[in-house]
Amino acid sequence: MNPHILRKSILFCLSILLLMVQTGCWSMAEIEDLSMYVGMALDEPEETELEQKLNELGYDQPKKNLISYTVQIVNKQGEEKSSSSGSSSTSKPYLNITETGDSLLQMEREFSTRLERPLIGNHLKVIVINEKLARKQNMNYLLDFFLRDNDIRLSTVVLMSSERARDTLEAKDNATIPTFRLASMINNRRRSLQILPPVTLTNLVGDMRSHTSYMLQNVVATEGIVKFSGAAVINGKTQTCKGLLNEEEALGISWLKGFGVGGVVKITDEMTKQLVTFEVTQMKSKINAKVQNNEISFDVKIQFDARTMENWSKSNKDFDDGFIERMQTAAEEEVERVVKIGLGKIQKKYKTDIVGFGKALQIQHPKQWQHVKDDWDKTFSEIPITYSVKMKLTDNGAKSTH
Amino acid sequence: MIGVKDRISTVQTAVIIANFMLGSGILTLPRIIGEKVGTPDVWLTVILGGGLAILAGVIMAKLSMIYPEQTFYQFNRLLIGKWMGGLLSLITIVYFFVIAAIQLRTLNEVTVLFLLGGTPTWAIIMMFMWVSLYLLTGGINPIARLFEIILPISIVIYLIVIGMGLKIFDFNNLRPLLGQGIMPVLKGLETTSFTFTGIEIILIITAFMKKPNKSVKAVMYGTAIPMVIYLITVVIVIGSMSVDAVVSRTWPTIDLVRGYEVSGLIFERYDSFLLVIWIMQIYSTYTITYYASALGLSLLFKWKLNTCLFLLLPIVFLTTMIPKNTNELFKLGDMVGYCTIYLFGLLPILLLLIAKWKGSRQG
Repeated sequence: MNPHILRKSILFCLSILLLMVQTGCWSMAEIEDLSMYVGMALDEPEETELEQKLNELGYDQPKKNLISYTVQIVNKQGEEKSSSSGSSSTSKPYLNITETGDSLLQMEREFSTRLERPLIGNHLKVIVINEKLARKQNMNYLLDFFLRDNDIRLSTVVLMSSERARDTLEAKDNATIPTFRLASMINNRRRSLQILPPVTLTNLVGDMRSHTSYMLQNVVATEGIVKFSGAAVINGKTQTCKGLLNEEEALGISWLKGFGVGGVVKITDEMTKQLVTFEVTQMKSKINAKVQNNEISFDVKIQFDARTMENWSKSNKDFDDGFIERMQTAAEEEVERVVKIGLGKIQKKYKTDIVGFGKALQIQHPKQWQHVKDDWDKTFSEIPITYSVKMKLTDNGAKSTH
Repeated sequence: MIGVKDRISTVQTAVIIANFMLGSGILTLPRIIGEKVGTPDVWLTVILGGGLAILAGVIMAKLSMIYPEQTFYQFNRLLIGKWMGGLLSLITIVYFFVIAAIQLRTLNEVTVLFLLGGTPTWAIIMMFMWVSLYLLTGGINPIARLFEIILPISIVIYLIVIGMGLKIFDFNNLRPLLGQGIMPVLKGLETTSFTFTGIEIILIITAFMKKPNKSVKAVMYGTAIPMVIYLITVVIVIGSMSVDAVVSRTWPTIDLVRGYEVSGLIFERYDSFLLVIWIMQIYSTYTITYYASALGLSLLFKWKLNTCLFLLLPIVFLTTMIPKNTNELFKLGDMVGYCTIYLFGLLPILLLLIAKWKGSRQG
């Protein structure tokens, strides 16, 4: 054979061989063979019945029972069934599995002794922490594993539950994946001021290290139904939960922070004693830190735009200037009322600055901040804070008069 | 000695410098500077550090322009004598291959952690070395041409990926400006030296330039591009995560990209994009440092360049394995950073003075 052709054909065969190693990577794992967990719940130690039975059957490793750790795995078989039959399926599309112990990693690896497919955390969306657990355990310890893990993304949202956290990962029907429900509910912020901006692991890393206090959305659950309700206050120094804010108090903090993107303000018109409701279209707040003779004080200016969306009062002059003025004053007073409630709770009762007064002082008076930052919580509880609310009624919706 | 084929243009020179600089540093940069500065003013440190780097680059370019057609390895003996010059060359050779080894090791650490969990270290590193060797045997011109392709691609993708971090950007994280005065900014200055490592290549590649008198311009552009990219990186990373978060993360720039998800575009997550272009940048940094090191060996001992290229393979591989853990790796990086300050920040000033003095004596 012509040596030239021989050489070419050998090269050709070699290049075909080369293709064989190009098809995949060594570390490949088929997605069907993995247990993808999307949600997580940390609770006070409380072994499930199943766990107790398993413990009786076998010798358990030495551990302290500090945390009950639940992961929610998307059950693909369940999903497939429901989609192929078209009707409601009989099995739930998710699987919750609980383990009690101390080290989160150890517990996570324990799951491998109970599941046929290994767990992967790349798609973790939500971590729910029980409030009572957070009162006892430092957030640094609870979250350390998640911050170190290379699968888990820092965009994971952290929520708090005043009830049993793993209950928030249950759904009544067979169509809902509870974690996705929680993750989507966070997107409803345009509709309600009750939904706080999501706190992700990224936010927590910074706050935990700088000893900044923060609040986490509280979520309660009953019978497979969940609701965002109020917030949990985490103290920056101790990194433990100080307590809860009820819905009204949390609302006050939302106004102070001015971070809402929607929501409603409901008032009673004093003239007609009837109900008027406004929809907030825009909202902002500005904290002014003042330092005079070493005395710190704060003034918060809250501004918002709103439109009348419901008016039960029989005034037939919605466009009347007097009406608009009356409504604005009433709405401003209403907001001031909730701000007072919220501020009172965090400043006097919890003595924890979750609004960011400290940050405002740090930005506006960095030198002063250096003096007070070490004992900020105590200083904060004694600082006079004033606030004023300004509302602009922009329009009255599609209806003009009665 | 240097053939026409081995000539590179002014743009190519700038590209080589920029590509050298943009290496492993970019993933850890916000943390390394943030640790020292401690306030959100890190970006000021980057600007100042960049300015100093450009200054040092100009001095080195001026120095190499005095001896056209000659690399640092050849002209240093004319300045400080055969033995001292030889020693300096040897230090420089070691310096370059240690950088090459650090790049490889960082590449390995990140790919094992985030991309290829089960792939053995030797497989990642050796593949990389062989692919690079293939390019290196072609000489400086193919290297320059490949770099010209890599740089724009990586800059565009990098800026898009980092720019999407603006989704979680909070301006308050960058405030207060100079809250604790200018001192913290200056404290971080020396740590920028490792990130601006790369300008020293001008001492070697000026000899390959078609127009060596343009080397000052090349070094200025070559440093300005990475400086702007570093600036954007620290502003967005610190603005999105706060300086406190940044200093507690091992790879803050990757964490920024893992901290957001974009819905509506084809992809939701952009970590792999960042890692892919970053691997290309590591490749270019590794290649050029390896080349500089091998070229030094060949000029010092009068060996063939190809022999030196192969000779260095096991040495670099073993150096890569020296750091026992990531901490030691980062420490080695810091050490090299200090070397950069003395070797290429201060020494060239001295050499330039000697050269001027010698020149005036002859004139």
